[in-house]
Amino acid sequence: MILLQAHSRYLLQILQNRVQNLDKGVELDCHWVEFDDVRYHIQASIKTPNLLHLSVSLPTPPPEIDFSGGLPLGAIEALKTAYGSVVHILDPPKDGFNLTVKLNLVKLPNLEEMKQNLLVKIASVREVVMGAPLRVILKRLASRSVPPNAAELVPLLHRPNESFFIVPQLEKVTVVFPMRFNDSIDTVLATSFLQEFVEARRTAGLNNAPACLWSSTPPNELKEAPQQALSANAGFVSFVISTRHVEGKKLEKTVWSLSTFHAYVNYHVKCSEGFMHTRMRRRVESLIQALDRAKLDENTATAAQSKSFKRLTIEESRGNSH
Amino acid sequence: MDPSTSRPAVVIDNGTGYTKMGFAGNVEPCFIAPTVVAVNESFITQPNRSSTKGSSSWLTQHSAGVMADLDFFIGEEAISKSRNSSTYSLTYPIKHGQVENWDAMERFWQQCIFNYLRCDPEDHYFLLTESPLTPPESREYTGEIMFETFNVPGLYIAVQPVLALAAGYTTHKCEMTGVVVDVGDGATHVVPVAEGYVIGSSIKSIPISGKDVTLFVQQLMRERGEHVPPEDSLEVARKIKETYCYTCADIVKEYNKHDKEPAKYVKQWRGIKPKTGAPYSCDVGYERFLGPEIFFNPEIYNKDFTTPLPAVIDRCIQSAPIDTRRALYKNIVLSGGSTMFKDFQRRLQRDTKKIVDARVLASSARHGSGVKAQPVEVNVVSHPIQRYAVWFGGSVLASTPEFFTACHTKAEYEEYGASICRTNPVFKGMY
Ligand SMILES: Nc1ncnc2c1ncn2[C@@H]1O[C@H](COP(=O)(O)OP(=O)(O)OP(=O)(O)O)[C@@H](O)[C@H]1O
Ligand SMILES: [Mg+2]
Repeated sequence: MILLQAHSRYLLQILQNRVQNLDKGVELDCHWVEFDDVRYHIQASIKTPNLLHLSVSLPTPPPEIDFSGGLPLGAIEALKTAYGSVVHILDPPKDGFNLTVKLNLVKLPNLEEMKQNLLVKIASVREVVMGAPLRVILKRLASRSVPPNAAELVPLLHRPNESFFIVPQLEKVTVVFPMRFNDSIDTVLATSFLQEFVEARRTAGLNNAPACLWSSTPPNELKEAPQQALSANAGFVSFVISTRHVEGKKLEKTVWSLSTFHAYVNYHVKCSEGFMHTRMRRRVESLIQALDRAKLDENTATAAQSKSFKRLTIEESRGNSH
Repeated sequence: MDPSTSRPAVVIDNGTGYTKMGFAGNVEPCFIAPTVVAVNESFITQPNRSSTKGSSSWLTQHSAGVMADLDFFIGEEAISKSRNSSTYSLTYPIKHGQVENWDAMERFWQQCIFNYLRCDPEDHYFLLTESPLTPPESREYTGEIMFETFNVPGLYIAVQPVLALAAGYTTHKCEMTGVVVDVGDGATHVVPVAEGYVIGSSIKSIPISGKDVTLFVQQLMRERGEHVPPEDSLEVARKIKETYCYTCADIVKEYNKHDKEPAKYVKQWRGIKPKTGAPYSCDVGYERFLGPEIFFNPEIYNKDFTTPLPAVIDRCIQSAPIDTRRALYKNIVLSGGSTMFKDFQRRLQRDTKKIVDARVLASSARHGSGVKAQPVEVNVVSHPIQRYAVWFGGSVLASTPEFFTACHTKAEYEEYGASICRTNPVFKGMY
């Protein structure tokens, strides 16, 4: 796996199971947590097996984020566009969550392919909700309409108490990520990973990818950013998104990749650590083998010595007898 | 306060055959996936990869459209990849309950965490499980991987049968004395536990487990000449075992029943040949009860091991300290997928009771009629979540507040090193 998928594997499994066994619907009550502290809770009862209550809680927003109504801007519209009548938003949400929806499985489309696509979309609810403000901005870019507050810095929530920043312009949108890691080794690895990332962008095959920069100090775009956003132990990454990156189907992919960029880097840092451990284990094994060989040599050497010693004595004795 | 203690702990029970993974506090694991990794070897084994310049190696991989060290799959996906393409080869990281291939194990965990559970390992305490016979070195390796690769904030490595005991009792008082009969895919252990502590010297292992039942079913069907495509026959045998096998009360009577009413007892298996896509079908007959019978009459399968499981349980309890024996007979708990056969519990209870009663009778005969021996209560307990009792027990224990204090933390690991992982304390809530 190279990229994180937009849908929650577990949520999709629950939904598919439920749809397949609608007649023998069992009691359901599960909760789980995904990266960036997105929490889920799903409930269903035997009495109404076609109804599911899904609650989602989002990471705690930092002070610079406008989170009126407990959801990112544009989230409600995004939910309605994505799901239509299958999803009904409950107000207020369940205690401790930002969003609770009622899913009515009877209202799923009949056509198998459309049904599956919609289930995947429901399982991608975090993308729909958390990506909403970014989607609005990128859509404007796609239609080349003038952004309302051009060149103004927009903070967007992606991790608990952390935001990334957007500067919307007519022809392009600049996205800046302050990159932070808890562990000192992770920080070092992430820094070199990001530098390599920028380097890789320059190779011929990736000409069409968004321009990408890394710097250890806050870039110009963050001049007006709040103080707490300006400290980042693994530096700052910026991408310049232009209209061609948000055309048609690319839009959703771009929204997802950007809103989970930190999780993506974190995943690859952990993978590299695993990879290094594999190599370290191999090295240790080969050293142990070398040691064992040396021991063996020692044994055979002493054996050979004693043999030659014996032989010598025999020869000697023979020699003496002659 | 550490915010990760406010999130549910991740509970992963890595078995020889299946890994059960999920979040503490739930009644079911999120995923049950075969413990297997399919690796694309073509890049890994390429010579001199380390000596080629970083960027050029990156380019070759990029132009081939892969990222070598991430080009692998786990679970069902791994099995289907290896079936459809010869570039992937399967590795089973766990053999007979013990991790044998740490590279594969680390990769397996990586995908469990990032692809299946999709959680950030830095955000959660982890509860992992191990077989009662795992050497302490192996725990150190596990600790190293968890703390250094994944940066988990806290780790607890629990002994599987202890968790299985904890699973049986959630509503009333948690009884932490009993014998756990854990029959999984690659290992069968009979483990006495007193007050949450394993009585190590009395553990009995037998070389017959779920995989053997599968192999035996496969062998019986092959001998009878059923036409199952050879490349699929193991998988089919496993499915037949899980769907149709049951425990009988008496083999001879069962043969008679099958012969008298074949329509009622003989089942049909329908499949599709993987190569040609042509449908086929075969009969499932005596193997339905002969499969699980190998636990009660092992000689029909294995010439070298002939002690029936009930006798092993009896020996196990007889070797435990005398003051624990009555409590142990009273609480014989089943755990693992291969105890799921219909009526397995009933047969085990009956046969064990027979052995115990015979001994009580013999001893009162020896002592004359004057002393009357008190009858021994034998109780084999089965419960609905038996299939993943170990995981469920982990889920229950990891959702108690004491769990977080019993874990080894990353800070402790950094201060004292991997050796702290050698033991984990038994904590309150366990008894
Ligand atoms: N309903 C069933 N009836 C009979 N056998 C079953 C059933 N379901 C699963 N099994 C068998 O149980 C085994 C898996 O059990 P389990 O998951 O407890 O083992 P494990 O934990 O992977 O292995 P171990 O504990 O030996 O390391 C497999 O052999 C599987 O075929
Ligand atoms: Mg097991």
